[in-house]
Amino acid sequence: MTPERWHRVEEVLQATLDRPPADRAAFLDEACAGDDELKSETSSLVEAYDEANDFFAEPAIAQDARVIFNSDAQIDAGREIGPYKIIKRIGGGGMGEVYLVHDPRLDRLVALKLIRSWFVSDDALLRRFQTEARVASALNHTNILTVYEIGQDSETFFIATEYIDGLTIRERIRAADLTLKDVLEIAGQLLAGLEAAHAAGIIHRDIKPENVIQRRDGVVKILDFGIAKLLEKPSPETPSEPSPVVRTETGVGVMLGTIGYMSPEQVRGLPVDERTDTWSCGVVLYEMLAAQRPFGGQTNADTLVAMLEREPVPLFGNGAQTHPALRQIQVVVDKALRKEPVERYQTAADMRADLEEIKRELEINKQSSAIRVQTNVRDIQSLAPQTSSPRLRRSIVMAIAALLITIIFAALFLYQRHQARARANALSANALAQRPYLQMTEAERLTFVEAQEQRISAMMGDRPVKLSDEALRAIKVRVDRYAARQNSASLKPGEEDLRQVYARAPEYIPVIARAFAARKIPIVVGVYLPLIESAYRPCYENEIGAKGLFQFVPQTAEHYGVSRAEMCDVQKMAPAAAHFIADRMAELGDDAQSMTLVLLSYNRGEDAVRESLRRLRETDANYERNFWTLFANRDKLDETFQKESAWYVPQFFAAAIIGENPDAFDLQMPTLSSFARDVSEKR
Amino acid sequence: MPAWRLLKSDKIAPRLFLLHRKMMSVSASSVTQLLVDWQQGDQSALKKLTPLIYDELRRIAHRYVQHERNGQTLQTTALVNEAYLRLAGQKKPEWQNRAHFFAVTAQVMRHILIDHARRRRYLKHGGQFQQVTLEEASMMSEDRARQLIALDEALDELKDFDSRKSKVVELRYFGGLSLEETANALDMSVMTVRRDWRAAKAWLFRKMQEGNESDDRAWASRQSEITNRQSAMS
Repeated sequence: MTPERWHRVEEVLQATLDRPPADRAAFLDEACAGDDELKSETSSLVEAYDEANDFFAEPAIAQDARVIFNSDAQIDAGREIGPYKIIKRIGGGGMGEVYLVHDPRLDRLVALKLIRSWFVSDDALLRRFQTEARVASALNHTNILTVYEIGQDSETFFIATEYIDGLTIRERIRAADLTLKDVLEIAGQLLAGLEAAHAAGIIHRDIKPENVIQRRDGVVKILDFGIAKLLEKPSPETPSEPSPVVRTETGVGVMLGTIGYMSPEQVRGLPVDERTDTWSCGVVLYEMLAAQRPFGGQTNADTLVAMLEREPVPLFGNGAQTHPALRQIQVVVDKALRKEPVERYQTAADMRADLEEIKRELEINKQSSAIRVQTNVRDIQSLAPQTSSPRLRRSIVMAIAALLITIIFAALFLYQRHQARARANALSANALAQRPYLQMTEAERLTFVEAQEQRISAMMGDRPVKLSDEALRAIKVRVDRYAARQNSASLKPGEEDLRQVYARAPEYIPVIARAFAARKIPIVVGVYLPLIESAYRPCYENEIGAKGLFQFVPQTAEHYGVSRAEMCDVQKMAPAAAHFIADRMAELGDDAQSMTLVLLSYNRGEDAVRESLRRLRETDANYERNFWTLFANRDKLDETFQKESAWYVPQFFAAAIIGENPDAFDLQMPTLSSFARDVSEKR
Repeated sequence: MPAWRLLKSDKIAPRLFLLHRKMMSVSASSVTQLLVDWQQGDQSALKKLTPLIYDELRRIAHRYVQHERNGQTLQTTALVNEAYLRLAGQKKPEWQNRAHFFAVTAQVMRHILIDHARRRRYLKHGGQFQQVTLEEASMMSEDRARQLIALDEALDELKDFDSRKSKVVELRYFGGLSLEETANALDMSVMTVRRDWRAAKAWLFRKMQEGNESDDRAWASRQSEITNRQSAMS
């Protein structure tokens, strides 16, 4: 194509694209009258344009980052790292790969865990690596993986450990070939290893089937002390690592692998001790027997709720005819999974002793060896004494079923009455808000969260909608987490006491209120924005360089006249944020849904916002638009927005609920919105 | 002293950080200089810049993937921005330099990806003679590789009759820049960038589709050629 020809074609193309899709055909006819070639050329481009948008929607740099990263992930066989010669890659962990290597000095096989150079600039990961080596090398026990050495080869750090030729418990569970005897054996050895670790003052904190491996000769080894914690006063150079829950905070649905194994106190961010490992052992034991975890759910939030509030489904059914050994196992699992640490097994040794006893009994009765567990509960129930005739058994089953149905109905009835009463309590005279949140029962908390959400939605000018259970729980989990930040002992590094955070509000809320009022943005939005964005830290800088109360990337900030150095200055940033939000609202509409998308997308550019909004509206032009429709419809958004919606929307309300109910959270101050309103009214 | 004791005494870690920082600051001044040279028309400067940027981007991209796994999101502009800040030092960057940096980054990204896509296609079609690791084969989909190559070729053609639009696409698509950033980098108005971008998208996409069709024919004929040769040999 010549430049001249293209010039002509583009002219018509641009003019066509300026028109709404419905008018384009007519316009083309008119504009290309008599020039069929021009017309077909342009109309094929218009056609291509519609499809092209999909292809170009996400830049290649984002789509293909995985490729760039992966292109040299593999280290070739034969290469040498320190004294070791690579044989093959046998696994990949969170921070590095694991290779099978040969140590020519001792002529033995060694497992080498490598940490790549690019992690070295990442403080937390290197520290985790160090912890792992330090902790594991302090332990010398058959059931704990032996660490040979730690070293460095130019840019690569490595840990050399004994090589275990065997299967992880995860693999064994998948293979579904565990017998009851295997299960008891594995659990016993696992607990023996933990006993040794606890005796050395070390808590593992990440016991899960992936981290336990069984050698072909049956010996069980505990791996990965990467987030282990020293029980006794951590030395200053070993600040305790953030536990995985910190990471889950930023990504709903990502950490499922680990979240299912953490104890309630670990999830709540409370101090943990060896009893957290006992809990995790209980989960692993349950999973080996049932081939599924005791607490599960479709999302992390569901799993968390299940773990915090529900009792696991009994392993072997409720039948009275269950074998005594199985009933005893149930007792052990129940005790390991008590929500309150004080009610749990206090030591790994106690739990192991109980399991040992069961094992002994089974061995005496020679009953255990052939019994396969999991996936097929009936096999286990074959342990039941076969005294009753089939007909009798059937009638027993029917009776039990009838009983169960009755119990379920009764429970449902009681639950509903309980809920209704709790709700009535909350709504009458706002009684709950007067009570400390931390003292509320789970049901009361939910009711409280629901009532407050409705109130805050109304304050923002949104027509409140009834929230789904999922949404309510998502908010509650976050409120819980913040509410727990009320004594310095339970705080993780980088976290602050809630009161400390809100004590800063008098400094920045007037500034934000003025800036947002000047741009006619609902004040509630402005006031809580900085609280969610920075996870309550005023000048927090995240890994991508987004920074300050509003978490702009420098590019965005600069676009609104704030230099990188000024990004923590609320005086500069508040007007910029207000400006940015107002700009987008002017363009996209001022309904809360558009606004939410805007809030979620500072750094993604307005094209992405526009496109997502278009897609949402296309699905149903008439639905009520507010914060929660976005949350409820997040599956129609692209992946980034999905994640952000799942995280920010509930987070926003959690921040608002706390700020609007200072009394319930023991914050000695007026509600933040009244505070902000006073300021903006005085203008 | 055994190596793990070294780590235990926390001696290695701080040293490593220092080393890292030193390397960064050494390249910082040279990157700035190279950008200036390139801006003034010294093409060899680009050659020197490329590996530096490549390494940095890859390092960051690695973390990008990690974060993705943890459910965090990382914006592409921020990615490039971080690369720039690291390479050019933490001082307040000159806008002009940064604009050029973005331009270079976009080019580098394009090269990396196209290079990769070509290798991917090679593996698919001629690679039976080549040892292929599982990871390598699964990295980029065949479709994606084909699309990228088609885009690259179309972009070259576009450059011949409208080089400004090819630049816009390079920055937007391979560099991940927003409309505003692209406008800044190319010293154009946002409006013009927006119009260029949409016209270019339409033209490129149509071209890519044509390309795909002929590409398929080319592979088909090559495949039959190989088959013929094999049957002739046996």
